[in-house]
Amino acid sequence: MLVNKSLQSLTGKLIFAIGTLMIAGSMLFWLFLFKYQEKELIDSSVKYGNSFVDFIKNSTRYAMLTAHGTLIQQTVEAIGGAEGIMNVRIFNRTGKVIYSADKKHIGTQLDKGSSLCITCHTASGPVKETPSWKIRKGEQDDYRVLNIVQPIYNQPDCYTSSCHAHPREQRVLGIVEADLSLELLDHSIKQQGIAITVYVLAFSIVISGTLCIILWNFVSTPVTMLAQGMRRVAAGDLDFKININRKDEIGELANTFNAMSDELRKAKNELMEWGNTLEKKVQEKTEAIHRAQQQLIHSEKLASLGRMAAGVAHEINSPLTGIVTFGHLLQKKFPQGTEDREDIDVIIDQANRCSNIIKGLLGFARATTAEKDQTNINDVLNSTLNIVKNKADFFNIKLSTNLDPSLGMIKADAPQLQQVFLNMIVNAADACEGKGTITITTSKVNDNGQDYAQVEFRDTGYGIKDEDLEKIFEPFFTTKPVGKGTGLGLAVSHGIIQDHGGKITISTKIGEGTSFFIWLPALKETA
Amino acid sequence: MNRGKILVIDDEDIVRLSCSRSLVPEGYELKMAKNGPEGLKMLEEETFDLVLTDLKMPNMDGIEVLGTIKEKWPKTDVVIVTGYQTVETAVKAIKLGAFDYIEKPFTPDSLIATVANVFRIRNR
Repeated sequence: MLVNKSLQSLTGKLIFAIGTLMIAGSMLFWLFLFKYQEKELIDSSVKYGNSFVDFIKNSTRYAMLTAHGTLIQQTVEAIGGAEGIMNVRIFNRTGKVIYSADKKHIGTQLDKGSSLCITCHTASGPVKETPSWKIRKGEQDDYRVLNIVQPIYNQPDCYTSSCHAHPREQRVLGIVEADLSLELLDHSIKQQGIAITVYVLAFSIVISGTLCIILWNFVSTPVTMLAQGMRRVAAGDLDFKININRKDEIGELANTFNAMSDELRKAKNELMEWGNTLEKKVQEKTEAIHRAQQQLIHSEKLASLGRMAAGVAHEINSPLTGIVTFGHLLQKKFPQGTEDREDIDVIIDQANRCSNIIKGLLGFARATTAEKDQTNINDVLNSTLNIVKNKADFFNIKLSTNLDPSLGMIKADAPQLQQVFLNMIVNAADACEGKGTITITTSKVNDNGQDYAQVEFRDTGYGIKDEDLEKIFEPFFTTKPVGKGTGLGLAVSHGIIQDHGGKITISTKIGEGTSFFIWLPALKETA
Repeated sequence: MNRGKILVIDDEDIVRLSCSRSLVPEGYELKMAKNGPEGLKMLEEETFDLVLTDLKMPNMDGIEVLGTIKEKWPKTDVVIVTGYQTVETAVKAIKLGAFDYIEKPFTPDSLIATVANVFRIRNR
């Protein structure tokens, strides 16, 4: 398992590949060296063998010329008994052993097809007259034997000697064969082989070890560090840095990796920041939608309530006219101070109260059906003031205006705005209790880059209590005496201003007076 | 004493009755019509100084009645009676030639004052 894993790693593969090449190269080198050495040794052995055979021929030459057979045999025996000499045999032309270091062989006849004959003769061809050699296995199979064969050529001495044993025409008189033991040579080759193998193995091991260390330090360790870094980064640890301070490709890779994780961290931070902003924006949008939805529900509620109110008001106005008219007619028939007169006064008062409620309801009914057009606020204010100016309620109230002539146009439903302004002025007058000053001021204001037209209604009345401020825009909330207010005026005004994209704010101080500020979005001025 | 001839056009009996009880004692001669077409028919037959017409009526509304009267009998004054008063309808009525408008529910005094104002200016 571990071996398998090691082999699959980059270092493992490199070591395996280089190691295999090293071993194959070493083995080839070893084989070449071994073979070359062996050949050199055998060549020198053959050379020595041939010299040895020459030496036999020379040693026996005189005895042969003088035909001293015994002397030849004794010489052959003496030479053959030396160390490393396996056997020495001398054959005559017919292949018969005539002298031999081992006497057993004397007289044995070689078959023409024997291996010794074939070295010089082909099956029927001419005689090869050059010396030859071959190597064969020894009898005990533990060392090899070098077999040297040299022909004995006919020389003038031979055919002129007194024995006249050989005619002149004969070229080859016989053969000298010597078997030389290669035991020492084989031993030496074996020793050298072992030595070379040890050297090659040691060399391979040293090279492989060095290679391993180099690969481990320069490839495996940094690659492992990079892999670890990538795992850390993949797991989200973008602050992780790889410490490889090198100027090679690995160092460059580490620097690139660090730069990459830096970029990733930056991108992640940006993304998170963006996500947070998005969440906030979504929340804001959701709240805005919720508010708009509430407003819509409210508007719908008001609209249907308005339709009903309008229907009811219209139906009730006519009978109310009857009650009021006949109440007044009856009133005139009873002198003031009588109980009947007081009863009729109650009827008339209550009818008037009904009438006021209906007026409020009708105003409420109209709050949701705005038809907006380009409108000049100052103009609407002036026409509203014209309506109230001559009313008895305003006889002792000073109406002061401070209108900004440069106030731009707004998109609004003028009659609805007039209704709002009328409400504001009537409320201010009520707050003043018949005497004081109402100041109406228009101006341009800017809030969060949006231009607004502001209308301020300031009175010198008694101010508004904190607990009333909270409920001031609620329908049917009123602080006016029973029968005087319906509690619909500010609710209707608030609805209208909201429908116009504006708002109403209040600034009040008990005993000093109140300011109502109406903000309406100004139209963008077109060039 | 006949201070003037008035035609009241209103689909509500009680409104017509209220007008009659308020204005007849003041010396005005009153005739009643239940709707626009009936009122116009009466105008074809006799001359009126003033027409008090309701604004919201079935078949024909007060604005239409006003338009026809101002076209055919320009000398007859018209006062719009409305229980559904808005600034824009009032402005529209005045633009179309109505003398004035009066809100329902009205008191006998306010009705008498409005009508008296009409005749005061007519008689100048």
